[in-house]
Amino acid sequence: MAYVATRGGEKAIEQAERLFRQDLGTIDAARVEAIRQSMPYLVDRVMGEASLYDEDMAALALAQTGGELSEAVLVLRAWRTTQPRLAVAAPLLQEDLLTVRRISAAFKDIPGGQILGPTLDYSHRVLATDVLEGKPYNPPSVDPAATAAPMRQPSLADWQRQQGLVAPANDSTVAPDDIPDLTREPLLFPASRAHRLQSLARAETGGVLALGYAAMRGYGNAHPTVNELRLAEAEVMVRHPSGTEFSAGRVRVCQAEVTSKEKGGFLELGFAASFGWNEVKVIAAATLDLNSAEAPVGSPVHEEFYLSHTESVEASGFCIHFKLPHYVTFQSVLDAMRDAKAKAAAAKANQDVAVERQTEPAE
Amino acid sequence: MTLAALTKPWAATSYGFLDASAKRELRRKMLKAIAVPGCQMPYASREVPMARGWGTGGLQVTLTLVNPQSTIKVIDQGADDGVNAASIRRFISRVSGAAETWDTLDASIVQSRHRVPEETMREDQILVLQVPNPEPLRGVEPNMSIARQMHADADYGRLWLTLYEQLVRKGRIMQGAAYPSLVNGRHVMTPSPIPRWDVPKLNMARHLTFLSAGREKRLHAVPPFTRVEPLVFSDRPYRVEDHADLVCRRSGIAGYFMNEIPQDSGGSVFEVSDSNLGIKAIRRAEGEAVEIGATWYENGEYSA
Repeated sequence: MAYVATRGGEKAIEQAERLFRQDLGTIDAARVEAIRQSMPYLVDRVMGEASLYDEDMAALALAQTGGELSEAVLVLRAWRTTQPRLAVAAPLLQEDLLTVRRISAAFKDIPGGQILGPTLDYSHRVLATDVLEGKPYNPPSVDPAATAAPMRQPSLADWQRQQGLVAPANDSTVAPDDIPDLTREPLLFPASRAHRLQSLARAETGGVLALGYAAMRGYGNAHPTVNELRLAEAEVMVRHPSGTEFSAGRVRVCQAEVTSKEKGGFLELGFAASFGWNEVKVIAAATLDLNSAEAPVGSPVHEEFYLSHTESVEASGFCIHFKLPHYVTFQSVLDAMRDAKAKAAAAKANQDVAVERQTEPAE
Repeated sequence: MTLAALTKPWAATSYGFLDASAKRELRRKMLKAIAVPGCQMPYASREVPMARGWGTGGLQVTLTLVNPQSTIKVIDQGADDGVNAASIRRFISRVSGAAETWDTLDASIVQSRHRVPEETMREDQILVLQVPNPEPLRGVEPNMSIARQMHADADYGRLWLTLYEQLVRKGRIMQGAAYPSLVNGRHVMTPSPIPRWDVPKLNMARHLTFLSAGREKRLHAVPPFTRVEPLVFSDRPYRVEDHADLVCRRSGIAGYFMNEIPQDSGGSVFEVSDSNLGIKAIRRAEGEAVEIGATWYENGEYSA
């Protein structure tokens, strides 16, 4: 059994995993709760990329992976996919969202008003080093407005439609159960609009940003103007088998609509939405959507290109798989290379062989 | 009749990890793949508790095939104790109750990355190959919509052209593993990245082979007794790796695909890549009664 004794891979992998988990230490409910409370935007990002809205589970995934984001998304997705699909929620309408932030760069002011909501946009990005010196940072309290902004805000695109600036929206005739579901079907190209938006909704934030940025910088043909950016909470309305409609809870959602130029008498709109509040992702994703129509095949703004390459689980998995041994395929390459080299050397040494090699394939 | 009597006890996951809807979709696609040999069938490719690119495609097929009576062998680069093979085998066994084995002869399902075992597989065995890239046309056409159209038209001219260019430039076809092969005279497939040594084993084989790419969400199949012909020019015969004369330094057996182990002193020694074949040969040499099955290659020559 000498052959076996020199290997012992099974024991090694178990110990390697233990080493990783030992470094993270005990994971308890308090740690999960602390992550959920202190890192809401990180939790949002993970929920969006996992296409699973559950703050506790997302925080748990972050805890047990030590914040390795692609691993956190993978464990959540792997759990999610085993769960039954119980119901299809009612579509969200912009005017029904409980909106906390809604801005437009297309107009100085918009019907319903610009609502800044929570943002770091205008903050000075200064590291609060005092905290490390033992002085806790206590955020100053917010002065409430004289009159609170309405919780529900109209859709800017609806106003634009009334003005004839944006093409009329068609009511969907697809039954809820027939809406294509990316989590249960392969993504094929050209993708349905549902698949494209679903794929963008759960795309990897960094990947969407990179390709969206490429489009903005000039590798796309449409420069985006943010028509409307919205952070909101949405009621998840489902129908009980008995017929009662009820809210199964609220989820944070974000959406971006970007526009560029006129096409066929109307402004073109690019759209993206996602679970959680992740502004940079939806702006970049909406930009990719906007650029898709006229994108040359093979360009980074072509749908097949950006959807294929921003899929978090696939991209990260393939990247790390190169750590696996590849010595069989490598051996196969070496074999061909050595033989070709030997052939070339022999050809140099022997004129006859060279003549044969030159003439034969060309005939 | 109570509600409880109609339901099963709660479990964190279904039998074999994948839920029924995922398995149903996979079974349909696997049957389609058998019906049209070598044709890539898209499937949803659910997430599994392993990273993409680490055998998730093969794993989904195996989890769909497995039952408590199954015996599972998992190999990576020919080795049963490769770290990832060990991890996959343990997972399959844990979620299905299937028995584990290292012996090709005992396995009902062999899941493999990059190798076909050297012992000839039987009618009652299924080979599941993990595939990183199922598209033989990817090198000449990265856009998969166009590549699908090319398959539909059996338009393989550009693939032939790359082989021809290699002949002209290098004097031989330089394709290493994953040698493009025509299945049942119709679809060109990339036979995962198995070495050229292993491709003849799929031709008119007794066993069923599934090739499944989880990340790329495609699977294809080579049913039993189906032609698998590597793309070659009539005057340039197919060549497997020159391993026929190499001898395994551990087991002493020769005439099988070998791993090359570079030496400090310069030069290389070789070990048989099908590690359990090597182990069995050693045990037999030490006097144990170990059964070694018939092999596809005899004395380094393909003989089936």
